[in-house]
Amino acid sequence: MRQAGWKRWLMQNTGFAVALLLLAVLYFAYNLIHPRGFSSAVAIQNANETVAIAFVAMAQTLPVLLGGLDLSVGAVMTLTNCIASELLNGSPLQILLGMVVTLLAGAAFGLANGLIVVYGRIQPIIATLATGAVAIGLALLVRPKPGGDVDEDLSWALTNAVFDFAETYGLADSGNAWWLRPFADIPVPLILLAGVACLVWLPFRRSVTGRTVYAIGSAEGAAFMTGLPIARAKITAFTLGGFLAACGGLYLAIQTSSGNADIQQAGAYTLNSIAAVVLGGTSLLGGVGSAIGSIIGAMILRVISFYFRILDIDPLLQPLIEGLILLIAVSFGAIRTLRVKNQLDLFR
Amino acid sequence: MNILLKYSSALAGLALSAQMAVAGPEIVSGPGADPECFAPWSTDTKYLQWEAREGPYRIAVVNGFVGNTWRIQMIKTAKAYAQDSAIKDKIAEFKVVSTGTDAPAQLGAIEDFINQGFDAIITIAVSPDGFDRVIRLADRNDVVLVPFDNVLDTDKVMQVNEDQLAMGKTWAEFLLKELKAQGKTSGKILEVRGLPGNSVDRDRSTGIHEVFDASGGDWEIVQVVGNWDDGTAQKVTADAIAVHGKFDAIAVQGGTTGVVQAMMDAGHPLVPIAGESENGFRKLVAKHAGEGLKGISIGQSPGLVAISMKAAISALEGHPMPQLISVPLPVADYTELEDGKNYWSDLPDNFFTVNEFPPCGVNISGPAIMAESEADVK
Repeated sequence: MRQAGWKRWLMQNTGFAVALLLLAVLYFAYNLIHPRGFSSAVAIQNANETVAIAFVAMAQTLPVLLGGLDLSVGAVMTLTNCIASELLNGSPLQILLGMVVTLLAGAAFGLANGLIVVYGRIQPIIATLATGAVAIGLALLVRPKPGGDVDEDLSWALTNAVFDFAETYGLADSGNAWWLRPFADIPVPLILLAGVACLVWLPFRRSVTGRTVYAIGSAEGAAFMTGLPIARAKITAFTLGGFLAACGGLYLAIQTSSGNADIQQAGAYTLNSIAAVVLGGTSLLGGVGSAIGSIIGAMILRVISFYFRILDIDPLLQPLIEGLILLIAVSFGAIRTLRVKNQLDLFR
Repeated sequence: MNILLKYSSALAGLALSAQMAVAGPEIVSGPGADPECFAPWSTDTKYLQWEAREGPYRIAVVNGFVGNTWRIQMIKTAKAYAQDSAIKDKIAEFKVVSTGTDAPAQLGAIEDFINQGFDAIITIAVSPDGFDRVIRLADRNDVVLVPFDNVLDTDKVMQVNEDQLAMGKTWAEFLLKELKAQGKTSGKILEVRGLPGNSVDRDRSTGIHEVFDASGGDWEIVQVVGNWDDGTAQKVTADAIAVHGKFDAIAVQGGTTGVVQAMMDAGHPLVPIAGESENGFRKLVAKHAGEGLKGISIGQSPGLVAISMKAAISALEGHPMPQLISVPLPVADYTELEDGKNYWSDLPDNFFTVNEFPPCGVNISGPAIMAESEADVK
């Protein structure tokens, strides 16, 4: 019975399982080749590079589960990045307040997206194309020139291992307490990512609203006929998406101790977030997948580019190779189509 | 048991803190090594000195955006220079990566090369800020970080660039000289600007305006935005000519070939022009200078990467280096153009002509760069 449950999970989450396996293989091999593989320094560096795109990929997951696309996630990340670069300094209380304001700004922007989609009855992809431009415009207003003044200690503490965090703030015997030892080498950014996934995503997924999001993506008509709260679920999904994008923007500000209203970077993050969502086993048709998968997808995306730094590959060929590997990786997710018993299943 | 754990953790902490002792360069007084090549930006520029270490060195170039001619030529120049007999024996390993316009990816790549134990990392920053963390890590690990072209707003690292303000001034001075030769002390000037919001665009434009304002003449300067791109510059120039009729001189930040093309297409009389170092622009000036297209060409050279590599090696050898290195402006006006020497009629129009810096011993010619194979990066 137990084994059957395990098998059923695998059947239902093939995409996610394949992504997880792919990540494990890619990352293990990377560490084998890296001259300082399996060390804390490498893990911290990798984690830092991955967090922002992982948050943005989580944000993208929600509209995709609904069966749409959000073209504003990168722009919201950029906007919140610029807001955070203005607010994250001063006393600890002020910094904390700055973080809250940043996250609320992202959530508010997501809420606006949701309201436009639901009550304006506009396709998400078009609505967010427009609001994305608005977000970039606001970001340029907040920060016309790159720069900012983010608290240095905060930046250092949150972009390193648990030990450095404790050392910076003089917690747990400046990081030397015996009970901290087992966790001392874990990168803080990974903890933040896991924290948001467990405290925000998992409860949401289990709630009625969360399950309604999946139902809408599977069959909106059926969900409506069942009496599920469709409008509420959509608005909540976009709001949560804005919140998660703001998490990415906030981390980016902490990581770079600055803000930058970079239009090209915003575009790159939006596109990469879609790639990460697909890599993580979420269907672009909606109704299947999870934000956890998107985190894995974002990690795969990053690990591919890690290889360019340890292997000798011509710099002008790197984008081509990255694209090819991405194509192959995405194709793995399509393996299930080879096994369907009924052609009609392909439309699901 | 607890005591044992406590001691071992204390020891581990000690080891960690010892490793984290802040190193990095010392601030010393000048003059630095090879001042002909590594000229300090100003008299206030401080000097940095790293501890000398044995070569050969491992060097990485972390590029950001890739996809325009300048960047591709820069990468090819880096590879060609790494093979140059002057420094070949000093380089044990040479890597180039491009991270796109993604700040975390660029920061990550730099940090990764620090972790891999590279000696020097050369980079074109995607943003003038946000590098505090990698600068801190580079100092702790005694890695020489050299931003060039788009430099950082910090004085903690050694940086290499050309003086953009001086470039703008030189352009304007040349135009004033040519206009004076025509007997003009007033008139209408077209200024084709670069990417908005960029410090290079701002500084070049400031330089142009400062000189024209100081000349005392009655100059009306019409500004259009050409994004340093031939196509855009050509279009906005055509529009400006259609609206204003005639200009007495033109100053172009980039996309100069397109501007000249637009001028010719519109049947605009050929007037003095100041522009970048595109091969196409130099070809046109060489051909039409007699008809009035008297041009000056100054370029932000992709060869800056070679000077940055040379500066990094010099720093690793323990020489004192200026914190901000000003590379002399590569200037050529219509009297100095010579086919096969500072422009090439057989190379494409969008090739950037200035790559050689004789005071630095950087002598990679255009054809040598174009011939650089794409096969290996060793």
